[in-house]
Amino acid sequence: MTTTTPSAGQRTRPWPRYLSIAQVSLQDAVAYRVSTIIGIGVAFLWVLILYFLWRAAYARAPLTAGYTWPEMRTYVVLAFGINALVGWRVGSLMMATVRTGDVVFDYVRPLNYCFAQLFRACGYCLVEGLVSLAMCLLVGFAFLHIAAPASPADALLFAVSLLLGVLTKALFVFLVSLLAFWTLSGLGLMWAQQAVIQVFSGTIVPLALMPDWLRTLAAILPLRGIVATPLTLYLGKADPPTALGLLALQAGWVAALLLLANVAWRRAFDVAEIQGG
Amino acid sequence: MSAVITAEGLTMRFRRPVKRPGLAGSLKHLVHPEYTWATAVADVNLSIEPGESVAYVGPNGAGKSTTIKLLCGILIPSAGRVEVCGLQPHRNRQRNAANISVVFGQRTQLWWDIPVIESLRLLGDIYSVPATEYQRNLTEMVDVLDLAPLLPVPVRQLSLGQRMRCDLAAALIHSPRVLFLDEPTIGLDVAVKAKLRELVGRMVRERGLTLMLTSHDVGDIEQLCPRLVMLDAGRVVYDGRYAELSRRFAWETKITASSAVPLDGHPELAVAQIPGVTRTDRPDGTTLRVWFDNRVATCGTVVAGIVDQFRISDLAVDEGAAEDVIRRLYSGDLEYSTEEPA
Repeated sequence: MTTTTPSAGQRTRPWPRYLSIAQVSLQDAVAYRVSTIIGIGVAFLWVLILYFLWRAAYARAPLTAGYTWPEMRTYVVLAFGINALVGWRVGSLMMATVRTGDVVFDYVRPLNYCFAQLFRACGYCLVEGLVSLAMCLLVGFAFLHIAAPASPADALLFAVSLLLGVLTKALFVFLVSLLAFWTLSGLGLMWAQQAVIQVFSGTIVPLALMPDWLRTLAAILPLRGIVATPLTLYLGKADPPTALGLLALQAGWVAALLLLANVAWRRAFDVAEIQGG
Repeated sequence: MSAVITAEGLTMRFRRPVKRPGLAGSLKHLVHPEYTWATAVADVNLSIEPGESVAYVGPNGAGKSTTIKLLCGILIPSAGRVEVCGLQPHRNRQRNAANISVVFGQRTQLWWDIPVIESLRLLGDIYSVPATEYQRNLTEMVDVLDLAPLLPVPVRQLSLGQRMRCDLAAALIHSPRVLFLDEPTIGLDVAVKAKLRELVGRMVRERGLTLMLTSHDVGDIEQLCPRLVMLDAGRVVYDGRYAELSRRFAWETKITASSAVPLDGHPELAVAQIPGVTRTDRPDGTTLRVWFDNRVATCGTVVAGIVDQFRISDLAVDEGAAEDVIRRLYSGDLEYSTEEPA
């Protein structure tokens, strides 16, 4: 077996239910470690492509939209690592259960569906996300000359922001996947979701480089909290009041999305037509 | 004693899209969708006492699975009331879930890629089963279902029979008060069926588990469920003891009488005059078949009438076993609307 969890016989009381779900999804992620590593490797190709594109651009202009080359290469490399912290697995599993009708079992368990999926995402995050982030940091520091956090205070702000960002993405993926209860098929949703997240989170380009209308939109939407906000804090590009404002915006969105998600899943359960006998 | 499951006027209607065939039909549906309404469950009344075992039968599409889904809180009834352990399932899904358990023969609730024991442990945690109770349940089920060799195996490597044994264990690990089994033995061999029935029967006898079972396997019904509810086109057509089924519907008994020598004349005409005989025929030269209403005549009077006509060498009486009755009801051979025998 691939895990070192204690067998049931040695336990004296049950684990908290959501923690147990996170632990099992962690085991699940380990069971698929080969596909996990391949997926991360492919995603990393994108980091390299963007890295060399930007290097060519910076060879002509040393400053673009307020980012120096050392800042930009740090941004590009870390953006992918951070965006990969929450992957597609929980979303695609949710959609699959709706399509096959196996979602019936989610109706007959004493669980809050939203929390169950979030804790599941945590389990996957610990394996897939951390491996991916570690790879970005390792290659980044060793070969691509990325910078350390601007200061210890910035590192702390970054850590808080990163946590909120993980929650934001997990909630957003959850909400989009819930749409499968109405549409029944999820492939289109998955693609659309990927594109929207990559653009509005600032994974592909920092918000500062976007055209005005897009930047204004991206600045207020919750998705910036996934990548752009944590990295702005990491690079020390926000003064203290702005930094706190950004964290407040992130936290406010997390609260709003959490509320929305909890209303939405109950609605989704009520409208669902169960597929298959 | 108050009922553990009650349904009053329970009705479920579905909206079905009407799509004409082909691409043109699909496009038309996109622009101007048309729907029809189908009634899957119509005005069902049920009352099931704690510890009762009820078979819920009917031909495919009769509305059995839909009823189960209504009782589990998966579907919201279009009309009527439903209560399980004092809760309306669809209004209290999480609380209802703690009281019930459901096994769908065509699905698994186990996690596909992790060992069976980990799924069971997770379910124990999800239902907050105390460690001693968990251990007691696990030991009993491992024993009866012979699960020991399966526990360390990931579900995706199990055969259907092995998986269903594990699925039943998963459904019972939290000691539910009510167990719904939706075609649990579909596609299983006799040995596995026997194991599943043994465990369920034991839980019913020893723990007061309330059981509701849908199945096309008469063995499941005979061995587990004294009470039978039969559904046709969404309506309850019979609710009573399984053993009473033949008396209720199979009021017609068939007698096949053979003679050692070819029959002379027309004995069937004389036999047809016996009170209660509904029809007669002669499939070959030495055989006479007689159908009679067993509420009016007895086997003895009819046989006596036949003996008057010729010397019987061989005799077969076909009363219609319950299994046969179910088969004939499904195929439309027998009428559901038969009056209660006098």
